[in-house]
Amino acid sequence: MSVNTQLHKDAPLLEVKNLETAFSIDGQYYNAVDNVSFSVKPREIVGIVGESGCGKSVMSLSIMKLLPKGIGKIKSGSIHFEGVHLEKMSDKEINSIRGKDIAMIFQEPMTSLNPVFSIGFQIQEVLFNHMKISKKEARLKSIALLKSVGISRPEKIVDEYPHQLSGGMRQRVMIAIAIACQPKLLIADEPTTALDVTVQAQILELLKDIQKVNDMSVILITHDLGVVAEMCDEVIVMYAGKIVEKTDVDTLFHDPKHPYTKLLMGAIPRMDEDVEVLSSIKGIVPSLKNMPKVGCKFAARCPQAMPECTSITPILAETDEGHEVSCLLYPTSRPREGVLHNEYRG
Amino acid sequence: MEPVTQATSAAVGSVIKPPKSQSPWALARRKFFKNKIAMISLVFLIIVTLLSIFAEPLTIPVEETAKINLTQMSKEPSAEHFFGTDKSGRDVFARTLHGGQTSLLLAFSITIAVITIGSIVGATAGFFGGWVDNALMRFTDFMMNFPFLLFVIVLKSIFLESSTATLIFVISVLSWTGTARLVRSKVMAEKENEYILSAISIGCSPFKTITKHLLPNVMSTIIVQATLTLAVMIVAETGLSFLGFGVPMNIPSWGNMLQEARSPDVLTSKWWIWIPPAAVLTGTILSINFIGEGFKDAFNPKSNR
Repeated sequence: MSVNTQLHKDAPLLEVKNLETAFSIDGQYYNAVDNVSFSVKPREIVGIVGESGCGKSVMSLSIMKLLPKGIGKIKSGSIHFEGVHLEKMSDKEINSIRGKDIAMIFQEPMTSLNPVFSIGFQIQEVLFNHMKISKKEARLKSIALLKSVGISRPEKIVDEYPHQLSGGMRQRVMIAIAIACQPKLLIADEPTTALDVTVQAQILELLKDIQKVNDMSVILITHDLGVVAEMCDEVIVMYAGKIVEKTDVDTLFHDPKHPYTKLLMGAIPRMDEDVEVLSSIKGIVPSLKNMPKVGCKFAARCPQAMPECTSITPILAETDEGHEVSCLLYPTSRPREGVLHNEYRG
Repeated sequence: MEPVTQATSAAVGSVIKPPKSQSPWALARRKFFKNKIAMISLVFLIIVTLLSIFAEPLTIPVEETAKINLTQMSKEPSAEHFFGTDKSGRDVFARTLHGGQTSLLLAFSITIAVITIGSIVGATAGFFGGWVDNALMRFTDFMMNFPFLLFVIVLKSIFLESSTATLIFVISVLSWTGTARLVRSKVMAEKENEYILSAISIGCSPFKTITKHLLPNVMSTIIVQATLTLAVMIVAETGLSFLGFGVPMNIPSWGNMLQEARSPDVLTSKWWIWIPPAAVLTGTILSINFIGEGFKDAFNPKSNR
């Protein structure tokens, strides 16, 4: 608890406010991230959970401004990072932040390293991009980095090519590249999804160690609640581009409030229960084009849906201290008189 | 255990170099060198190229190849004239070598120009997409619309002082479109890979991302395309010269030499006038195509040849 209060004193490192990211389909823009606000404090690990297609990855790409040009754009809202507005930056300005202050790890280690360059070259590239450093120093530093991510024989691996490494090793290399300039924020977009379970655990362990050693914040995007429980301080549950629940990790697992979160929890296989069939959530996330405009977006799949769920849009609001939910089952989520929808309080 | 193995490997290493980590390039190179047909073709092409480059010290200066010598008309091959002489009494051997110089220089220059323009246009269009892509590709379509042969003839007549340089310019301007389309499609497929995204995410500028990360990965396609273009350009030069729209008549080229075979008399009874350039031409084009195939195999990780 003392750690928690300590954290709350710090000013947030990253503050996302009312972010709307839209994608163009047939000339029209549809919101993939819809009015999302959250903040990341220094040394905090924030998990973002949700099904495929709920806007987790789009949000991380928005922060790094890596949205595909001409298709995706930040429509409104602000992304505040250490006193600067990322969303207003030119490509040139943001290039000095990418890799240095904010780094990213991707889902697919098999394709996220360039096949024609040696491992060492790819680590040194980020060093050369952001630091004045000699070739020799860069090489020594890249060997040290490989060692710090738990790669044995780093002097040899540094000269090898991606096709000679296994998936787990490549992900370690990706982590080495990401932490090369000691970023303040690391965005890990499903870093363990493509790895097998034993390697997953190692990589998560490594990420946690590195986070502690380097004093950095991490945004961990995942669809695996087990990973969240293992790693995170704060959790954000997203559905169809909106935050449906936001709280700290203990509260979420002991007292999930949103029906969607509860269903997600039910879909985790458990060792201590004798269940033959895993429960699943019926239906799929509606596509961007078919997104309901009014009402709760989860209503169509929600077992606890009420008639008014399709006509009143719930707002994200605090039900208990530090626990925000967006669901009409909770009176705090009902919009106030005169406020129709999409208003974020606080 | 460890120090022992290290010591042995060091001992072995001093005799035989330990296998260095193989980059995809090194792997492809090794595979290419193992390809017999491609290697024979490469040797042939190098010999032809060297003979053409050293045409002057080996035979006679280029001005003399155009000189008409009435006393030596249509002589059969002999010790004095290895390949005999043509109807104007010019030495066919010297003309074949000098002709090779013209034809190869033309083909290499056009290929370099075509690949450069095509790669720049294709990579830019493919990487940026959107309106940049649209504008560049519509321009490419526009350039593609010109009928090649007619346009070359028209442009050649506009540039009155026709020279080899004009021909290089005209053909280059008309031929880069195919390469641009190919490179664009390859770049579009390649940029979806996450290493491009991760290159951008560590702060690489678009220029650096294209030149350093994207181009090396589409280079195999570009190299194969370049070899095939080279063969096509030799044929184009020969075809145009054969028709009389190519290299000026006073400069020997394989196409100009083959033009002589248009007369039935030469074709039927004076074989030595047209067989040498035709044979070298065919051999060169074949070997270039075999080299191209060899590259294609070498760059393809799935082929085991």
